[in-house]
Amino acid sequence: MAGSLMKGARARAQSWLFRPGKLEAGEVFLHRRRIYILPNKAGVAFALLLLVLLIGSINYTLGLGFGLTFLAGAIGVVDMVLTYRNLAHLYLRSTRVPDVFAGEEARVELLVTNRSRRDRFALRVDFPTSAAGKSQGIAHTIDVPAGESSAVRLALAADKRGVLQAPRVRILTRFPLGLFTSWCYWAPDAQVIVYPAPEAVPAPLPMAGRPGDLAGGGPGNDDFAGIRNYQPGDPLRHMAWRQIARLDLKLGGTLATKQFEGGARHDVVLDFHQLPASLDVELRLARMTRWVLEAERRALPYAFRLGALSLAAGNGPAHQATCLRALALFGLPPSTQGAAR
Amino acid sequence: MTGLRALLRGVSVMSRDKSDTLLLLGSTLLVLIPHSLHLPVWVSLLCLATLSWRALITLGGRRMPSSILVLPLAGAAMLGVLQTYHTILGKDPGVAMLVMLVAFKMLEMHARRDLFVVVFLCFFLTLTNFFYSQTIGMGLMTGLAVLALLTTQLSFQYAGRVPPLRRRVGTAAMVLALAAPLALVMFVVFPRVQGPLWGMPSDARASRTGLSDDMSPGNVSSLAQSEAVVFRAHFNGATPEQPRLYWRAIVLGHFDGRTWTRTAAGTPNGSPGAPVLALRGPALHYDITLEPLNTRWLYALDMPRRAPDLGANPARMSPEVELSSAAAVDMRLRYDAVSYLDYTYQGGTDLPDAARWLQLPPGANPRTLAAGQALVQQGDPLARVQTVLRRFRSEPFVYTLEPPLLGANPVDQFLFGTRAGFCEHYSSAFVVLMRAAGVPARVVTGYQGGETNPVDGYLTVRQSDAHAWAEVWLSQRGWVRVDPTAAVAPERIQRSLASAIPPRAPFGIDGLGELINFSTNRDGWLAQLRYHLSAVNNGWNQWVLNYTPDRQRNLVRSLTTGLFNWRSAGLLAASALLLWSAYLLRVRRRSDPIDALYSALCKRLAQQGAPRRLDEGPTAYAARLASANFPPARHQAIAAFLRHYSAYRYGPGAPAPHLYTTMKSLLAQCR
Repeated sequence: MAGSLMKGARARAQSWLFRPGKLEAGEVFLHRRRIYILPNKAGVAFALLLLVLLIGSINYTLGLGFGLTFLAGAIGVVDMVLTYRNLAHLYLRSTRVPDVFAGEEARVELLVTNRSRRDRFALRVDFPTSAAGKSQGIAHTIDVPAGESSAVRLALAADKRGVLQAPRVRILTRFPLGLFTSWCYWAPDAQVIVYPAPEAVPAPLPMAGRPGDLAGGGPGNDDFAGIRNYQPGDPLRHMAWRQIARLDLKLGGTLATKQFEGGARHDVVLDFHQLPASLDVELRLARMTRWVLEAERRALPYAFRLGALSLAAGNGPAHQATCLRALALFGLPPSTQGAAR
Repeated sequence: MTGLRALLRGVSVMSRDKSDTLLLLGSTLLVLIPHSLHLPVWVSLLCLATLSWRALITLGGRRMPSSILVLPLAGAAMLGVLQTYHTILGKDPGVAMLVMLVAFKMLEMHARRDLFVVVFLCFFLTLTNFFYSQTIGMGLMTGLAVLALLTTQLSFQYAGRVPPLRRRVGTAAMVLALAAPLALVMFVVFPRVQGPLWGMPSDARASRTGLSDDMSPGNVSSLAQSEAVVFRAHFNGATPEQPRLYWRAIVLGHFDGRTWTRTAAGTPNGSPGAPVLALRGPALHYDITLEPLNTRWLYALDMPRRAPDLGANPARMSPEVELSSAAAVDMRLRYDAVSYLDYTYQGGTDLPDAARWLQLPPGANPRTLAAGQALVQQGDPLARVQTVLRRFRSEPFVYTLEPPLLGANPVDQFLFGTRAGFCEHYSSAFVVLMRAAGVPARVVTGYQGGETNPVDGYLTVRQSDAHAWAEVWLSQRGWVRVDPTAAVAPERIQRSLASAIPPRAPFGIDGLGELINFSTNRDGWLAQLRYHLSAVNNGWNQWVLNYTPDRQRNLVRSLTTGLFNWRSAGLLAASALLLWSAYLLRVRRRSDPIDALYSALCKRLAQQGAPRRLDEGPTAYAARLASANFPPARHQAIAAFLRHYSAYRYGPGAPAPHLYTTMKSLLAQCR
């Protein structure tokens, strides 16, 4: 009881002190107002040492002892300033986080840039333990030499489909002497889209018209029907490389794609509503996810229908991403979807 | 030297843990070395062995000894301390225990926390060094030890790349250099409290040799061998010439045939509470910095006006004009004094307590007594004094540091037998003769002379300047100082002891004396060096070791009147404001240099007639520029530049190395 009360009070104190603020887009400058600093355990022990040295010097009237005491005290003060300066005036930026499937780990990549002339050492970057006491991910320790940038990839467990907001990041340092801990918080505007985990046991792909053709498996769309202009999303393996090579892009040439016909007959249609309603929504989403991956693996063009979204048959990474994202965000409140870029 | 360098190179390639541990061992050794000067040899050797063991474990990559082995060893060592000191309380055994604690801690270091334990213990051990020595050399050694400790502490803090040792020492030195001014300010202004805070163990301060409260043949001459400083004096004005520098300390009135002691502490009836002094001539103002000798005696030039003001430890002046403090002086003490070289002390026709100064042990030294009584025939006491002095001068008396041993009736033996002695022999014999002749007389001990340092003007008085002379009371003239030694060896008084006694050849080698003993030669470069060292040392004592609450108050007072008036306060505030705003300006946010290059490119292209539209990103801009009418080289440069830029801005991962220089050169090609 008392423990949970303490924990609650602690969490409230933390949220008041460190103001979990709004998300910060773009590059963030570590202004001195953002930096916290406190003596750590070693620092408290050092303060006790200073007291002992002072008392010893007074009691035995050691002139040189006073000198040593004050020198040690001044070293403590200098260490405080240097620890603060080891963290202050850095620039933080998050890069785009690649989408992941539920159950995987998202890799949130953070970029720490040092535009000062001082090397920075031993900066520990982590997602701090949340108020619930759950530690998230592993801390990474980096050095940032003067005028350079260092990247940190923090692993973030993606349990559920949807949009995963990267938690607040803490950057912490005890350098150079380890007597003080200086830290700052940063809420990067970094989201990960978490696709539904694909169904473990794949169901057969739903083929429009000729459901028995499944065993054929191979490219059924091999009737070459001519060349058209490249459109974003065309699979690489359909590029008309011979034509492209003849044209100079700088002189107004465009990319070309081979067009196939006949494949349309085998079109795969992935329609959410065709799945039995008795199945759980998540299971249906999982199955759709598996089908998208399967169709993509086999390079089958597939039409995709989910809620209001209806995509014509297509194929390629962009098509796949659109489908998977739709699956990830299906049925979630629009506020969370809006956060996704 | 090359071996050391090879070792350092070896350290630099070895694993992080190993080199850090060796660094810690090295700095611990640096802290422990000065302790070996006072620790029992076995403790030093044991520590050295323990540290070497730890070093071997580290170098060989072996496992640490188990605590089953270490704990009994440590216990045995503690027992050894008990055996050596017969106690575990007190300063010396405490320091010995602490030293061994650090050494054994090395054998069971596991966590990072242990590093802090060792480093902090080392800081404390450095302080305990000052119980034994606080010289400049020790100060420098301490600075070195602190630098090593900082380097060690720093080395343990690196997480990724560890710079070479030289850079780490540089960083530690920078920390030290930044800390030094702050430490200096704290040293000057941090409120000082007069110690001790509680009763100290009795062995806190070792007693040292110095003048004792009694005098028997041999105990002043034993001091003559010691070059230890007793006090330093600084005169406001010219220093009086050497023969007038009689630093008075103790008056001895009771003689038991061999040893002189002070007369009974309780003042006999008739003795006035304060000396009757008539002082004349110019007052000499000077200050004295007394070394801690753990005695109550204070020194002043014959004849001081009054007891100096010592604040918490009040000083008093006895009727015999002996200055003493209430408690023994166990730390360096500085006091102001005023003396007059010209005086009449207890002048008048009558000496109320004359019996005290005529006391002689019955039966002892009969020949001397007889000789003294023979003097009575010369009516005038002054004539009796002169007769004795003439005798000392004319008969073959020898002034020597190594007089022959004297048996029973030592004064008889000295006056009529050996005729060789030091000042205590002469003063003692003189006073006995005077008393036998009915002239009140007494022995005064103290110091005579001193050495003026031409560098800082301080006069240094050493134990070797210890001296004993006599005072006789003459009607009307009062107590008059008579120095029988001056009759025998005038150069002792005129110059110094060294000039009065031929130097003995050190180690029995003739000529070596001239090489080593440069103290009499004031012009040699060695002497000059010695004077400079002595001046530096004195400054160190005055300002570092003896920076007392009193001194601090005076300094702060002079600072506040001289520095902190309105104008300078305003000036200070203005300059502080200026510095602060300069700092704020300096740390203002710097724009991304790559962004700056991008805007430079856009500006340049706009001048060339292809401005970027507001809604265009780098990729769209690049696509549009592809159709612009530029030479191919420029096309390529622009395309590459924009590709780099969009990868930097929007792509994943850390920027490519040398991105800035690459983009800058591309920008240069875009003209």
